[in-house]
Amino acid sequence: MVQHIESLRAEALSAIERAHTSDELEQIRITYLARKGSIGDLFDRLKTVPAPDRPVIGKLLNDLRTAVQTALDAKLAGLSAPAAPASAESDPTLPGRRGWVGSEHPITATMAEIGRIFAGMGFQVATGPEIEDDYHNFEALNFAPDHPARDMQDTFFITENVLLRTHTTPVQIRVMEQQKPPVRVIMPGRVYRNEAISARSYCLFHQVDGLYVDTGVTFSDLKSTLLAFARQFYGSSIRYRFRASYFPFTEPSAEMDITCFLCSGRGCRVCKQTGWLEILGCGMVHPNVFRAVKYDPERLSGYAFGMGIERIAMLRYGIDDIRILYENDIRFLRQFR
Amino acid sequence: MKISLNWLNKYLTIDESPESLAERLTLAGLEVESIEKLAARFNGFLLGKVISTDKHPNADRLTVCRVDCGTEERQIVCGAPNVAAGQTVIVGLPGAVVPHDQHSPEGIPFVLREVKIRNVESFGMICSAFELGLGDDKGGIMILPDRYRAGTPLADYLRMNDTVFEIGVTPNRPDALSHIGVARDVAALYGKRLRNRPAAVRETGAPIGSYLKVRVDDPEGCPRYSARLIRNVRVGPSPEWLADALLHVGIRPVNNIVDVTNYILMDTGHPLHAFDYRMLKGSEIVVRRAVPGEKFITLDHRERTLGGGMVMICDGEKPVAIAGVMGGLDSEISDQTTDVVLEGAYFNPPFIRRTSKAFGLSTDASQRFERGADPGATLSALDAAASLIQSVAGGEIARGTIDVYTKKIKPKKVTARLQKINDILGTTFSDKQVFRVFVNLGFQPVPMTTSSRIGRSFRCTIPTYRPDILEEIDLIEEVARISGYDRVPQKEISAIRLHETVPPVDLRTEVSPLLIGRGFMEIVTNSMQDIAVSALGGREFVKIANPITKEMSSMRQSLIPGLLEVVRHNIFHGAGDLRLFEFGKVYGVAEGAGENAVRSNYREESRLITVVTGMADPVAWDRKQRKSDIFDLRGELETVFAKISLDNSKFIPYSSTDALTQTGMRVEIHGTYIGLLGSVHKKILAQYGIEQEVYVAELSMDAMSRSRRGREKFRPLAKFPVVVRDVAFIMDRQIEHQAVVEEIFRSGAAYLRSVDLFDVFQGEQIGEGKKSYAYKLEFSADDHTLTQEEIERQMNSIIRRCTETLHLSVRQ
Repeated sequence: MVQHIESLRAEALSAIERAHTSDELEQIRITYLARKGSIGDLFDRLKTVPAPDRPVIGKLLNDLRTAVQTALDAKLAGLSAPAAPASAESDPTLPGRRGWVGSEHPITATMAEIGRIFAGMGFQVATGPEIEDDYHNFEALNFAPDHPARDMQDTFFITENVLLRTHTTPVQIRVMEQQKPPVRVIMPGRVYRNEAISARSYCLFHQVDGLYVDTGVTFSDLKSTLLAFARQFYGSSIRYRFRASYFPFTEPSAEMDITCFLCSGRGCRVCKQTGWLEILGCGMVHPNVFRAVKYDPERLSGYAFGMGIERIAMLRYGIDDIRILYENDIRFLRQFR
Repeated sequence: MKISLNWLNKYLTIDESPESLAERLTLAGLEVESIEKLAARFNGFLLGKVISTDKHPNADRLTVCRVDCGTEERQIVCGAPNVAAGQTVIVGLPGAVVPHDQHSPEGIPFVLREVKIRNVESFGMICSAFELGLGDDKGGIMILPDRYRAGTPLADYLRMNDTVFEIGVTPNRPDALSHIGVARDVAALYGKRLRNRPAAVRETGAPIGSYLKVRVDDPEGCPRYSARLIRNVRVGPSPEWLADALLHVGIRPVNNIVDVTNYILMDTGHPLHAFDYRMLKGSEIVVRRAVPGEKFITLDHRERTLGGGMVMICDGEKPVAIAGVMGGLDSEISDQTTDVVLEGAYFNPPFIRRTSKAFGLSTDASQRFERGADPGATLSALDAAASLIQSVAGGEIARGTIDVYTKKIKPKKVTARLQKINDILGTTFSDKQVFRVFVNLGFQPVPMTTSSRIGRSFRCTIPTYRPDILEEIDLIEEVARISGYDRVPQKEISAIRLHETVPPVDLRTEVSPLLIGRGFMEIVTNSMQDIAVSALGGREFVKIANPITKEMSSMRQSLIPGLLEVVRHNIFHGAGDLRLFEFGKVYGVAEGAGENAVRSNYREESRLITVVTGMADPVAWDRKQRKSDIFDLRGELETVFAKISLDNSKFIPYSSTDALTQTGMRVEIHGTYIGLLGSVHKKILAQYGIEQEVYVAELSMDAMSRSRRGREKFRPLAKFPVVVRDVAFIMDRQIEHQAVVEEIFRSGAAYLRSVDLFDVFQGEQIGEGKKSYAYKLEFSADDHTLTQEEIERQMNSIIRRCTETLHLSVRQ
């Protein structure tokens, strides 16, 4: 009996070792371990063993069953995860189990960074509707009904009086209508221009407007604040200039230029050979704008500014076609991780 | 606006370099967009005299010439058939750029070099008119009159020694659309004196009134109408100086009469119109409003239908010009014209603008009238034009001027306070400095002391050519502009008012980094879309009245179509595994608002859209690849919700009735609808040519913001251990997980803390039509360690409840 047990053990273990598939192993399990299997038979024959020997033989049989079961389980585990644990242990240079990598769109990223800089200077954030009325988009901002200044902003109309805002400046009116001075806000948002789509212009884009109204606000404050912004955003070594310009809602009006950072001011295609890049428009709030929101222009003064986000993002990342920003090709987006 | 430096020099002496002048003008608001030195086009070209010609030893058609180039003689090989000794010709020297290569089909530029042509050296080229862009003649070299000296630069011969500035004039400065206007700013900027003498007019014969009557029936549209008459002119080409002046500023000469009106336009900024007197029926001019529907042919040969608000210049019978915009074909100056009526008028700007817009017709005249011409300049412009016509076309100027000017527009008086100037600018200008600026601008400042507190102020008389100066702030801008914005000092410190409230953090700035961290890429898409797409939403949507294209003719009601376009684009470019998100607005309009809708009828809502499609994970060496499904996206949302304190989210399946999604789920937070999650309808995907499953969730940012749990107090950590038990239920397949969880909690097990599903199984072992859900249950009590018996009781009541209500059994 003991001999029989030992030969059965050798036979079963070598069968397990030779097996290559889980089907074969299942077959082996049925042959040896099932109730009617070879080991089961031996258990059945245990009652024929003389009583004094039974405990010893019984233990041997139990050991046999355990050994076969263990070998079978080990082999089965090896088959179902072939080679993996072995390789992982032997090759520590395998890559990790990575996930997808997300990214922030460059327009949002640029807006957020501008927002952070002005937040640091005490500006709050205000927003307003994109579907605007003529009054807030033009009239209250000192655009006379038939003035050619309206041509600076080609407009999408919805009805005669309702339009898609052409700038975020109407939010200035909405803020001042609702709030007493002092006011210190930036106003990010989406704006629309009815222009032919090209590499340089798209039918919509994003702006950040800024407004500061209080007693004693000066053009000098405006220059200083915007210079501080430009130094943080574009670098502390930039050269800059403010030149006179025209916007109906500010006076004096200015445009801020910085040295073209692509050619260091020597003149290139991007700066149209001028050596300067226009980065924002600004000025002192026009008294007519104050009058429209019932602020007293004798007592209060303020400055306002506005910048186009796409233009800034394009300059920053060296993007030469605005349309790629709205295409959302992941080969493009992936570059802004 | 092109401004010629030579022309400016007529008004003042400019010693500054063109570059420095351009910089100063730019800083003062007259932005110089480009500087063109006209002569530069002809650098390296000069006049030469052909001394001798010899046949080329090795080529029949070539000639070897010796050419006197002023300072030296050159040997030049020439291929032109018409070259001969004694000619005055144009020589291009090595290094010069020939504008047009006449041997290349495109006529592209090329650089001249010293060359050997069939073994004979050539030190330059004798040029044809075509090569220099001076004409179409390719047949031979250009031969010039003999009176020019050898060595004369070609630019001198062509009188092209001029510098032209392209100035971008802002709409508030109609005065700067002229040479005198720019000259005035130059004078003010540099403190120079302007030379500007009125024209002397030699009048002869009968008074103008005996030839012409003018009646203005529309004094609102035409506040001033002035006219002169010149008889017996000879229409012909303009003299060289006049034609050159116009060419330099980009205007093609037509004939001497039209050229003079254009010259005066560019010079003074005042648009004049010349009529052929004999074409004016009834020898009369009537200014009136157009009769709506009236037809009129403008001098560009187009028939135009007039609108009621338009101001027309008419003769005794019919219209002869659209006031301030364009003249008519019938009365234009022709070769047969002998008597000329010159119109110098001031039209009301909005009228001209509306007319110009209505026709989509913007002319040199309309651009100036709509911005505001100078009502005070009609007579001086007419005088200058009449006198110039006489000098270039002869004729007699009839005595006197017709001037219908019922309500005189007087120069405005505007006062600026020194204190206010410095208060707004943050400067410390003295009254002398301010006074000087106003004097230099011609504003005739009168210093006044109103009170000791306010201090000095200046009462200015604003010339009528500056319609932009209306109030004090406009004068303050002039002080800043002329002094230079760089004179305004910078500060290191700017006062900050401390606000009482800190605004809440925008939900977007919290959600965005979460999604990015979970591998989503942010996209930004167009909010305008095709009407056909908007119509899918089934609700009334916002239409754009004047769209660029049909593809952008309405405002989106959902972010899904824009997102699908992005998915399509990327799949088309080989990237099918996508996780994307966008924050964007959707737009709506109140039902039935129609064409009379006001702004408050429109709604805007901020939304978040997320999408997953393609493989759930990137490839990894031991990870089984599988496709994303709706539970991947749901899981991402649940993770975000947990992070931003949105509790108690429910995803309620519904049989979708909307066109965009199928197998949708409504997403609710505390019973409030915040959006939907679903797989995009196959029909829709097919329209985009997308063949793989796309799962989207579109949620309202406003609804999410409102549903957030507020900040809570800290909860003490459990002092007693947590006991975990697993249980697996076998149940009918149609029973849903949500129902099981609800029943487990309804069992009244007071110590149950959480229920998590950890296995789902279907198979023969558990029977046909059945499934097994395995749950991990956690129990704990706040005040004692749970005993074995307590847990058994809880487990038993859970199992009892579930078996009774859902008829499920426990899998052993």
